[in-house]
This record gives sequence, structure tokens and C-alpha cells, in this order.
Amino acid sequence: MACTINLFRLGLDSCGRWAATGNLVTNINGKAYAMNAVTPMKPWKTPILKLVFFLLGAIKPLQNKLIDLSFIHFARWVVVKRSQFPRLASSQPPEELDYDYLLFFSNFNGTWNQYIDAFSDVLADGLNLIWRWSEKFPGSIPITPFKRYISLVQFDTDYYYDSYPYAAINDVKAAIRVDDAVRSFAEGSGKLTPAQFQQAYLELLVKVQPDLGAIGPAPVGT
Amino acid sequence: MPNQSGNMYGLTILSPIIDDQTIRISHDSALRIYLKKLPRHEDGPFAKVSATHLCRLVVMDDVVFVGAPAKQEHLNSKYLVFSSNFYGDLDAYLADMAAKIPDVVNDIWSHCVGYPGVRDPKAFATYMKKCQIETTFFFAAVNDRTVEQTLRALQNKVEFAAFVEENQGKPAAELQAAFSTFWQRLEQLPPPRAGARELTRASVSEKASW
Repeated sequence: MACTINLFRLGLDSCGRWAATGNLVTNINGKAYAMNAVTPMKPWKTPILKLVFFLLGAIKPLQNKLIDLSFIHFARWVVVKRSQFPRLASSQPPEELDYDYLLFFSNFNGTWNQYIDAFSDVLADGLNLIWRWSEKFPGSIPITPFKRYISLVQFDTDYYYDSYPYAAINDVKAAIRVDDAVRSFAEGSGKLTPAQFQQAYLELLVKVQPDLGAIGPAPVGT
Repeated sequence: MPNQSGNMYGLTILSPIIDDQTIRISHDSALRIYLKKLPRHEDGPFAKVSATHLCRLVVMDDVVFVGAPAKQEHLNSKYLVFSSNFYGDLDAYLADMAAKIPDVVNDIWSHCVGYPGVRDPKAFATYMKKCQIETTFFFAAVNDRTVEQTLRALQNKVEFAAFVEENQGKPAAELQAAFSTFWQRLEQLPPPRAGARELTRASVSEKASW
């Protein structure tokens, strides 16, 4: 880079220009945490990783643990080949890279430590399969070097928008189950006698009761 | 298509940021300062782009050196990363951005190389697609609901929970009539506002004790 900036306070960069402050970090919005990570990969390993992702996409049962974890709204992995960084003008210097890069973006609920702990505990094999192609990845177990590595490769979000920041993904899933069930009940119960209605209503309650809990506050932590 | 999961689209844009050595506040710093001040809730710009479930903007200064024996290398440009998880089609989404929040889009992407503006939505879409990196693997926990459907579901769950609590032990006929009234009122409610910090109850049922 021509210049380096100091991300921790407002000040002049190495070119004498004002640079951003460290107070601008906004990784959290309500119950959602935005995580970004970038890791270097030797280009010959990229096709192997793409094959891993192809299999993960094609064989749905391989995603079951990711689904069962149930604190991720959206997650994505993006491989950027070293020649693939957009260059939109001749005045923009071309990139001169030896590595391809794996970008990871996650929108999860809970604290950073809870997320990394759960990932390491439940998805250790899956994580290793994805990141073992990245340079210096220490493995997801033991946890200490794994967290150190994630801290190193993570970069902060500058702006984060969530359409329903008060809702965790489990709140959303529960709400959809309740909404579907009550909507179906409302459509089918109009012509029932009061006794039939009461019976159907009780059956509805038994069905949706586990999902009727209040939408609680966001966790506080790191 | 790896950019999609069901009806959800995972958009990843990397826009190179202008590097101008002659200005006092660098474009990446100006961008960060602007993003810091941008509203994030119901008054935020992406609440108007109604397909957006979650999105983020990130200034990526450089790649990371993970330590020897890996090689240390650096980017020659900084990049603005726009990552959006939205419902539907990419062309419609970009057109919506250009139509609904043109000033914000201009304020953000005018710091980027080759940005043509939004006056010509096709030129804007072409630019964004040039900056798009195809997703390798996209996971969406719920991939079949619009933002409005999701917000309505959350509202309906909260309202129904309150209805259940308030109508315990009622005789069958009374319960049936109460539910009928409740459901009619609920169907007429507007959906909660996208991006709002809290989901406030609309007092659909007879008393609002929740």
C-alpha cells in the first residue's frame, strides 16, 4: 500500500492525511453479529476447496450440523482468486498477489466467544475441511490457537443493517412456525361449531406452545 | 447457482476505493466517517430497499499476514466490501437501490474507482456486476421468506402469544368469537417497520397486558 492508516484513533496517516478512528467499529446490530475474515491460500489449493464446497452444497445432509447450530442467519464463503480483484481503471494499480484469498462473512447470534466455542465444539471437522487449505490455519481444536487465528484474520464491519435486529434466527424460525400454524388454523376454523373450535384450538396450542416464548433481549458479552 | 439459496441471494461486491494522494482526507477515511453516521435502523437507507434482510459495508484496508513461513503481501488498492443477503433477483435489487436510495448510493460509491452514478440505472447495475465476486458457498437458515413476511410472522407470534394468555379458560363460543375478532384485526395491521430496534405490540387483542 502507498499509505498505512492508524485505525485506533483519529490522526494523520503516513501521507499526512486524516485517518479514521478506532471508535468506528460496528460489528453488532441488536442480536446479530457481523463477522468478516480473510485468509490466504496457495492458488493450487483453491480447486480443492471449491470441490469441498461443491460437495457441501450438493449433499444436503452435510449441512445438518450447520442448520442444527441454529444461531446463524446467513453465512457465506467467497474465494477471490489473486487475479480476480476488480480493476476498473488503468489508473488503478493492478494487484500483484501470490495467494488467492478466502473471504468469510457470517451473521450470527450470541457473542463472539460463544460463536467460536460452538463452531469449534460442534463443527470441528467441517471447519478443518474448509480452512485447512488456508495458510497457517492451526485447526479448530484446541480452542486457544483457533481463537488467536480468527482474531488475526478478522476485520471489522463499518456499517451493519438488520431488518429485524431484535430477533435471533431461532426467534424467526419459531415465529414462522407459529404464523404458519395460526394462519392455517384461522382459514380452517371458520365453520366449526364452538366445541369443535375449542378442540382444534387446544390442538393448535399443543403444536405451537414451544414456540410461544417471548423474544428476549440480546446477550451482553464479547 | 452458488450466489443463491432458495429465494435468497448472497451478493458480494468488492469496489476499489480511489487512492488520491493529493486530498486531505483520504477516500477510505471519508467513507468510514460517512458510514459511521449512517442510520442503521428504521430510518436507515436499507430499510427502504425492502428486499434486504441483512447487509453490511466494510472498508477492507489490506489482506492479512498470518505469520511465517507464509509470504507477506499487500493489496495495491483498498476495497469497499458490500455484502447483502436479500430476497429475490439481483437486477431488481440493484434497480431498487438506484431508485430508492440514490443519494446514499452516490455518497458511498462516489469514493470508488469507475463509479458511474445512479442516474443511469443500467450503468449502475453494470458497474456493480463488474465488482461482484461470485459466492462460493452460501448458507441461509431461512431461505423462502420476504422481509415483510418475516416481520409479519414475528408480529403475529407476539400477538398470538398475548391472545392465548388473555383468553385462557374462556367458554368455547366466547373463545371462538374472540379469535375471529383477533384474527381480523391482525390481518389489517401493517407489518412492523424494517430495521426497528424493537417489536412493539399493536394491542390487537382485547387487553394489552404483554
